[in-house]
Amino acid sequence: MAHPTQLGFQDAASPVMEELLHFHDHALMIVFLISTLVLYIIIAMVSTKLTNKYILDSQEIEIVWTVLPAVILVLIALPSLRILYLMDEINDPHLTIKAMGHQWYWSYEYTDYEDLGFDSYMIPTQDLTPGQFRLLETDHRMVVPMESPVRVLVSAEDVLHSWAVPSLGVKMDAVPGRLNQTAFIASRPGVFYGQCSEICGANHSFMPIVVEAVPLEHFESWSSLMLEDA
Amino acid sequence: MSLAKPAMRGLLAKRLRFHLPIAFALSLVAAAAFKYAVTEPRKQAYADFYKQYDAMKEFNAMKEAGVFQSVRPSGE
Repeated sequence: MAHPTQLGFQDAASPVMEELLHFHDHALMIVFLISTLVLYIIIAMVSTKLTNKYILDSQEIEIVWTVLPAVILVLIALPSLRILYLMDEINDPHLTIKAMGHQWYWSYEYTDYEDLGFDSYMIPTQDLTPGQFRLLETDHRMVVPMESPVRVLVSAEDVLHSWAVPSLGVKMDAVPGRLNQTAFIASRPGVFYGQCSEICGANHSFMPIVVEAVPLEHFESWSSLMLEDA
Repeated sequence: MSLAKPAMRGLLAKRLRFHLPIAFALSLVAAAAFKYAVTEPRKQAYADFYKQYDAMKEFNAMKEAGVFQSVRPSGE
């Protein structure tokens, strides 16, 4: 989860998020390059009374400041497109989960083998136990096996929502009447938090998402237990 | 004694010829500084983290700390 005064991304918990992190560093490096150049030129130009009223032609500089930005754009576009296509690959998921957005909670359906479904409501602040995170915890978490490709089919039952978990590098709009697909691999075990990312009414800020990645045998025990309780 | 005629033209161009190379050099330095102070250490940090990472050991430690909802600590 995010911590107070945090400026950067949360630590990556999936290979895709690691790629996104490195791409962001690359793009930000280019931003600093251009910003430093422009800032220096601005300061150099405002700190003089010298002007040139007769700027004509100047083919050379025109070519330079057309070609250089084009090259910079290509240097940004190539890794960007690489990651875009990487994110679109759905490599034979081991598990498919349906995440349905409601006002104002998520429901998860595991229907690959048995019919397992449950709702996931935010734990109200007054019901939190020490150590739990305000506005982020849910009564039932979406449990997934770690180091396994998981496909998530996202939709909504009423209005637009969006299923997002920043540390896994996933965000997918939940549109009523439409089935959107995304996938992720949790690189390590842990608990990963997210929040609804499309305005959906009064309690839009109070329908968080919690993904719990555990080893496969524990995932199987959990799903058997959930089926018994249902 | 006559003084040399001062430069009357090309003053801005002279200033640009002086400052533009410095501007380009500084911007490259800024980019290199960010690359070697942030980008490369971050890549290395992730590589180092996963090189010796024992998922089951970390899972068990988290389990015993009571982090998970699906798996409770051994005592419970």
